[in-house]
Amino acid sequence: MPSTRINNRIRRLRFDNNEMTQEELAQRAGCTRQTIIALEQGKYVPSIELAFKIAKAFGVALEEVFQYEE
Amino acid sequence: MTISQKTAWVQLVIFSALVIGWAVLFTVNGTVFYWQDETMKMTFYWLLAAAFAALVVMNVVMSILKSRLKAVTDERDKAILRKASLFATGTSYTVVVALLLALAITYMNGGSDNIPVYFPLFIAIIGGVTLVLTQAITALIMYGRKVNHA
Repeated sequence: MPSTRINNRIRRLRFDNNEMTQEELAQRAGCTRQTIIALEQGKYVPSIELAFKIAKAFGVALEEVFQYEE
Repeated sequence: MTISQKTAWVQLVIFSALVIGWAVLFTVNGTVFYWQDETMKMTFYWLLAAAFAALVVMNVVMSILKSRLKAVTDERDKAILRKASLFATGTSYTVVVALLLALAITYMNGGSDNIPVYFPLFIAIIGGVTLVLTQAITALIMYGRKVNHA
């Protein structure tokens, strides 16, 4: 089975959205700041629900935040 | 640091203190296999009771904090706790089975005279302490590593 990886553009999108803080994004997405940090560092792969909430917090589609690589 | 990480740290500190306390007790007073001294026996159980009481108090305090604060834990904390609990249960079960096996072999080789009456209780206690310590250590390690939600 080939190895897969889910990348994200959360850090980039935060800066594009008036330098949104990690805390602010965490509040909007309903998670902790530590989870946002882990996501940005590629240390956590979120649930579909949290992924949608983060995309919604930025007002973009899911694919603009998370990319699936094989 | 999330509230779950803090909980794991407190858990680790409490039960490490318990193990160190027991080690000091056995070093000062000798083997645990034959309780000659009633004071030593009671100290052993008091240390255990104090550790579990501290664990209960910690859980009550954390529950109150979780209910008062917003989004203090989330799906990542739950995923880590779930995986750490699963690993700790397996480890604890393995330790208890290995000790019971050793007990059975001792019994078959030498009869019941070689087995103090406290042994089954010790095995249960060791299983419980292993469970709590392994869960705390595993959770803390997982907070620094890559975790998947599933």
